[in-house]
Amino acid sequence: MKPKRRTAAGLALSALLAASPAAYAACDAGPGVLRGETSKVALAFRTTPPVIKVGELFSLRAEVCPQAGTRVSGLKVDASMPAHKHGMNYQPRVRQTGPGSYAATGLMFHMPGRWQFTFDVETPAGRERIHVDYTAE
Amino acid sequence: MRRTAALIAAALIATGAAAQQHAGLSPLAASPEELRNIQRHGPWPQPVPRDPSNRVSGKAEAIALGRALFFDPRLSPRADLSCASCHLPERTLTDGRERAQGGGPAKPRLDRNTPGLWNVAQGRWFGWDGGSDSLWSFTPRPILHPDEMGASPAHVARLLRDDANLACRYAQAFGRAVPPEADAETALVDAAKALAAYLETLVSGKSAFDEFREALARGDAAAAARYPADARRGLSLFAGKGLCSVCHFGPNFSNGEFHNIGMPHMVEPGRVDPGRHGGIRRVRADKYNRLGAYSDDATRTSGSRTLHLTENHGNYGQFKVPSLRNVALTAPYMHDGRLATLREVVRHYSELDIDRLHQDGDALLKPLRLSDAESEDLVAFLRTLTSRGFPDLNPVTGPCKPQGQR
Ligand code: HEC
Ligand code: HEC
Repeated sequence: MKPKRRTAAGLALSALLAASPAAYAACDAGPGVLRGETSKVALAFRTTPPVIKVGELFSLRAEVCPQAGTRVSGLKVDASMPAHKHGMNYQPRVRQTGPGSYAATGLMFHMPGRWQFTFDVETPAGRERIHVDYTAE
Repeated sequence: MRRTAALIAAALIATGAAAQQHAGLSPLAASPEELRNIQRHGPWPQPVPRDPSNRVSGKAEAIALGRALFFDPRLSPRADLSCASCHLPERTLTDGRERAQGGGPAKPRLDRNTPGLWNVAQGRWFGWDGGSDSLWSFTPRPILHPDEMGASPAHVARLLRDDANLACRYAQAFGRAVPPEADAETALVDAAKALAAYLETLVSGKSAFDEFREALARGDAAAAARYPADARRGLSLFAGKGLCSVCHFGPNFSNGEFHNIGMPHMVEPGRVDPGRHGGIRRVRADKYNRLGAYSDDATRTSGSRTLHLTENHGNYGQFKVPSLRNVALTAPYMHDGRLATLREVVRHYSELDIDRLHQDGDALLKPLRLSDAESEDLVAFLRTLTSRGFPDLNPVTGPCKPQGQR
């Protein structure tokens, strides 16, 4: 009986947390932070190095912040150049580093110009797609 | 009247359109965007980073061994080809042929054009298909290929051991005697690493373009005015509406990647050169790649690109974007040498056959429809990428002196 109650309380607490502004802090804007959102999730990320160099591999760390009632089960990261109709020549690898936190390595923008990140946030209800533009120089 | 013309010219420049070099206009005139595009093609020369996968990269003794090997025809068992037979010092380290000529009695015509090797260490992928991920892992290809030097690892090991001079240089470079016959592969890999150390030293000097770029950066109008007007207009096309610098990017005029510019890739009737598609498979299967046992980078971090490589259907018919430094000296052009002159290359981009571009070819490429004058300007610009000086390539190697002696 007791353990079950704790779980229920825990769930209620995390729902509360998810709904409270505090839970969004990780996805807030800030220096060097890029972000995007849908009605169900917000996502914020930083790249290393902070300014992406054409032709150099880079990595990123992303935080995913769901709205109340949404649970995040995974993240996919990709990027393309919409005007040139091509993607990257390298396949990033994404790993989860904590609840809602992900690290992606092996990204590369091989041409200068407008690139678009595509983040697919996986939730039990389906995929939430977030696009974030970036101009590489 | 003149004032109006100058104003119009200035407006053209400001909009990044064909920046007309105009009488009375400062040789420093350029829009901020154009200025930035031009500055991205330098500085030059670029430092050559040490290759962590090659423990003798940058080591003087290995460079000396590599230099001796580069010019030594005995590396091929028939003694008919050295590296320098195809990469001729007097021809900017290429051979002037459309496609390379192999060795042996048949002297077969190979599938591809011989690239010049100046500044080769600026690249990340080697071969037109990028089938090798390091300079040293490329080198066994010509050494072992039956149509090229046709050697075996055992042959290379024997040559290194039996020649007193090479054996002495090997010992100085690697700090041990040449491995025994049973470990001939190690000897081959070491020879490849010494050759790569030598290739890393092939850096060409500044060109007229570099001098102009530097003059622009320091705001030196007198120096900038020395840059020919036609080349200046050609540069505006190159970095502007021609979009050339999107692929021919950065100080070495290459983004180091692979694109399909609509060149035919039929080698002979019924056989095509798959380009990057084949290169990705080759590099993944290569036991000498940066992730393999022969890499000296214990962390394997320098193998990240190879690790993250991905195939896509557009790879078929893509070739490496060649550097354009010294391009006026390395005719004929393209992976199979099918274009004889820079004029023909510019015509290719000007008249581009969209239908021939692979369906997944770069959407960025459009026929430029350049006027004759514009084409001449673009060629004039490409000619200013020729270095004013090349370090002397002396093929004569003196006897190896035991360590400590001079
Ligand atoms: C028979 C002529 C021939 C000989 C001999 C030869 N090469 Fe080459 N080399 C070529 C050709 C052709 C290519 C392009 C190969 C390809 O794309 O598959 C090339 C490419 C290269 C590249 C890659 C350059 C780049 O920009 O990607 C390097 C490095 C190189 N050669 C070094 C050497 C060395 C070192 C030797 C001697 C061990 C050598 N070559 C011997 C013809 C030759
Ligand atoms: C979409 C990328 C791309 C763009 C844009 C592009 N190039 Fe290229 N360029 C390449 C590739 C790839 C090759 C090699 C193709 C092959 O061998 O089949 C090449 C080859 C060349 C060569 C031959 C060099 C050699 O050593 O063989 C020259 C010269 C050249 N380009 C000049 C230009 C100019 C001038 C422009 C602008 C009008 C331009 N390029 C635009 C990708 C590009």
